[in-house]
Amino acid sequence: MHRAKTVAQRKPIDSCKQMTDLILGYLNNRLKPALRREFEQHLRICPDCVHFLNTYKKTVALAGTLKTSEISEPVRRNVLSFLRQKALAIAALMLSWFFQATS
Amino acid sequence: MLARQVSAAIGVQTPLCQTAPQTMTPRAVQRRRKSAPDDSAIIERLKNGDQEALETLFKLHSAKLFSVAQRILGETSEAEEVIQDVFWTAYRKAKSFKGNSQFSTWLYRLTVNAALGRVRRSKNKTHVEYEEFLPKFQKDGHHLVRPVVDWSDTLEEKYAQREIQSLVANALGRLKPIDRSVIVLSDLEGLSDKEIAAALNLTVSAVKTRLHRARLFLRGNLAAVLGHSAT
Repeated sequence: MHRAKTVAQRKPIDSCKQMTDLILGYLNNRLKPALRREFEQHLRICPDCVHFLNTYKKTVALAGTLKTSEISEPVRRNVLSFLRQKALAIAALMLSWFFQATS
Repeated sequence: MLARQVSAAIGVQTPLCQTAPQTMTPRAVQRRRKSAPDDSAIIERLKNGDQEALETLFKLHSAKLFSVAQRILGETSEAEEVIQDVFWTAYRKAKSFKGNSQFSTWLYRLTVNAALGRVRRSKNKTHVEYEEFLPKFQKDGHHLVRPVVDWSDTLEEKYAQREIQSLVANALGRLKPIDRSVIVLSDLEGLSDKEIAAALNLTVSAVKTRLHRARLFLRGNLAAVLGHSAT
């Protein structure tokens, strides 16, 4: 049966590469407490990883603020008009089938 | 100095972050906090072919889905067609919605599928190989290019907001369409990994892998544009 590695079995964090692999879990609060402590301990001795983490977080924040064009009123009207016509066409078709079947 | 930077990097236990993932953007948090509209009554009416229910559904979800389509496609005109297809499909296939996921997730799924279908048929494929923009390491596991430059605080000094938006949008446009979809649903829409997995028909593990890799790629792109090592 598969079991998650215990802290004792797991290799301790000793490289920036491992840190990079753990960033997503760290930022989502998904690291186990012991691993989280190790992660933060590494940050205390490694400015490169601090800088990498800061720029990663900045990237995520920037992506989240991307603006998009609002759906314009003419577009909204066009799509609604299309949907109404299609729905009416289907309703008419169903009615004609009904009358054919009952006549 | 490092102590202060470390505190900034890990000192994120603000009231906001106690209830939301640390990486959740303000927009995503805002969307999360809004209570989801109760779609169940609308779904039942849709299943009975109620045309007014279709219009209500459109009013509730069109802005959000249009934004998603636009981000995946990069074009407004095609996003309009996608939205048209999505709501028509939702109307026709409402009966096939079994309620295994949230209705909004199903709508996201229809939207992403329609947008990705158009991207696949498009001749204008702009995504690039990721390797150049992903972090690289020495044999001992340290960063290959040192020191790693922290440009997170200086970006706004060098570029106007509009330019920054353009840089990020360009980088997003270079992602593979499926990874772009993951970023859009996660970092712009604030969906959970589980919801994204349901919308994209991926495993949660695959979502996490794609999300992390896509973010690393975006980060590398921004670093390169700013004149620093992408790695």
